[in-house]
Amino acid sequence: MPTDGRTAVEPLLGFADALPAAPSETSAPAPTHHLLTFVLDREEFGIPVTQVREVIRVNGITRVPQVPAHVRGVTNLRGRILAVVEIRTRLGLPEAVVTPASRIVVVEVRGRVLGLLVDRVSQVTKVPVESVAPPPEEVVTTETDFLTGVARWDSRLIMLLDLDKVLLPNA
Amino acid sequence: MSTEQNPFGDLLQDYIVECLPLAEQVGDAFVELERRWRAGEPGDDLLTSVKGRLHTLKGNSAMMGLTPMRDVAHALEDACGFLGRAPASRGDEAAALLVAGAGLLVELVANASLETDGGPAAGFTERVRSFLGAAPDAASAPGDRRQSDRRTQRRLGESAGASNVVRVDFRRLDAMLELLGEGLIQHSALADLYRRLLRRVGASEELGELDQTVLSLQKTLTRLESTLMETRLLPVSTVFGRFPRLIRDVAHAEGKKVRLEVSGGETTLDKAVLDRLGEPLLHLLTNAVAHGLEPSGDRAKAGKPAEGVLRLHAAAVSGRVAIQVSDDGRGLDEAAIRARAEALGMDTRTVDPAQLHNLVFLPGLSTAERVTTLSGRGMGLDVAANVIHGLGGTIEVASRPGQGTVFTLSLPVTLAIVRSLIIEVDRERYAVPLSHVAETVRAEPEAIRQINNQGVTQWRGDLIHVADGGAVLGTQGASGGMRPFYVVMTAGARRRGLLVDRLVGHQDIVVKGLDPALGRPTVVSGTTILGDGGVACILDVVRILDGAGHAN
Repeated sequence: MPTDGRTAVEPLLGFADALPAAPSETSAPAPTHHLLTFVLDREEFGIPVTQVREVIRVNGITRVPQVPAHVRGVTNLRGRILAVVEIRTRLGLPEAVVTPASRIVVVEVRGRVLGLLVDRVSQVTKVPVESVAPPPEEVVTTETDFLTGVARWDSRLIMLLDLDKVLLPNA
Repeated sequence: MSTEQNPFGDLLQDYIVECLPLAEQVGDAFVELERRWRAGEPGDDLLTSVKGRLHTLKGNSAMMGLTPMRDVAHALEDACGFLGRAPASRGDEAAALLVAGAGLLVELVANASLETDGGPAAGFTERVRSFLGAAPDAASAPGDRRQSDRRTQRRLGESAGASNVVRVDFRRLDAMLELLGEGLIQHSALADLYRRLLRRVGASEELGELDQTVLSLQKTLTRLESTLMETRLLPVSTVFGRFPRLIRDVAHAEGKKVRLEVSGGETTLDKAVLDRLGEPLLHLLTNAVAHGLEPSGDRAKAGKPAEGVLRLHAAAVSGRVAIQVSDDGRGLDEAAIRARAEALGMDTRTVDPAQLHNLVFLPGLSTAERVTTLSGRGMGLDVAANVIHGLGGTIEVASRPGQGTVFTLSLPVTLAIVRSLIIEVDRERYAVPLSHVAETVRAEPEAIRQINNQGVTQWRGDLIHVADGGAVLGTQGASGGMRPFYVVMTAGARRRGLLVDRLVGHQDIVVKGLDPALGRPTVVSGTTILGDGGVACILDVVRILDGAGHAN
């Protein structure tokens, strides 16, 4: 692990690409979703790696007065001020407690760069497109509006987040 | 994109950047010339200085192949040359011709392109020709031409040899400022490291040297900062310059006689501030012409000269720049302000008479359709005030019935680096611009009394409100007890104390904006990075003094 507080995603991606794409790999390359997955309140969520710029350690988040409820604050990203979104409350989950495993996933959505505070990052993975189903009606912990689908795969349940809807409520 | 396809585009942009101010200065000079001729003064010095500018404009336009601009500049140059030799021909007709020509020139230069329509320029040169032809002594143009050629050669010689001036894209200065900001942050980190090291291992010769080096680094950075800041400064005349002509047009449209007196144009401000200052100032000036100054008839009845006087004055005042816009018109209509405020549900009996005038800055108090029937002022005054506040400035108004109105603006010299007091409230740090800090005071619990649930204390002989930092900033710490210090914040004539947990120190901070994702907080105006890499919010003192943050 780098000790400067950052974990670059580029090497991570390279690493993931070098591995067999998935444990249940088939010989013919099936169409896949390339995801970064992370954990929020014991649930696993995934976002397209194309939207991820990097993953950084949490190194102090400054509260900003009078901000919308789902904004946790701001942090210093190499001299740039990065707004950090409390994605848990946005999804109707309790507010996050920052632990050593916590990370900020820096994403770019429609040209805007924002940080997502997550409990921990699990992996970069490829999920076959056919394993993704529309979001079930009975998902209780999440507002299904924010999901593009649910991947049932490798005995896991990965909820695919629609970052546009999560981060740009008025867009 | 367009510049890629058209390498001419960049050149054209350079041309506009260089020539537009010249053309505007020419217009101002003509407006001033018109005034002087009416007053019976010759104005020869102005004619001479204007001819130099016209000559440069003519040369630059010719070099770009912009024939209409070249022709107009040339015609004006001829007219000036003629008027210089023929004082008898000076007068309203000549002045109107010159002002019209300058207006055309400004318009042509501002919209310069190779497809510029030559029609208006041809029309104007024809007007000049007939003006010169009708005049008795118009034959000496060739001599004038020779003189100009000599001047061209001299100017070329100057630019080839002695000029030390380079033009720089302002974005480069912004980039340098960013780098300087990083340097300042790294210096703070280094100084902090030195102190920790000193505590850990105790004093030594090497540590003493380190201390000295860190100190001299600070001095170097401070000098670098002031040099860079100076580079970013421009005289306010670059913004004031376009007003005389614009105000002349407004006065014409309103059918009023107005004299605009501009002073202090050499006062300097950061370009970033200046760029945003033009609009609100123009707002104030046009409002004064349209609604502040009375028609000549009313002025005569009031025993005032028919010509209304509008003053625009800038001066450096204790590290800030004060700008005053004043008129000798009818003054604000207090009864109308009161009535309008009552209509908006305000109880004006509780408003301090001195503050009553400042109600005109409230949104909705002076809407456009109310202007003429009510206070006679206020079109977009709240908008103008918002821009000024956004620049970290203040705006106040004072007025006397029948005698006139004065708007006073106070602006920070620069937006980019702000000397600030760093405070701590509920374990969060905030920066308070030092220009808004009057004093920091140790809070004695017995010295602060509660009146109507608001803390009040005696400060320099006055009673001021003291608000809890946690309440204003929405953190309301678990402490419960009184915080140990308060900061007396000021903006214009307003003051308020803010109770804080800790005074961390002074620091030059580099102002960074607020991400749109943060919504629109009213108590903070931006963010900055501190020496230890942490982020602090910058308090918006003006809006806090306006009562922002209270409801939270």
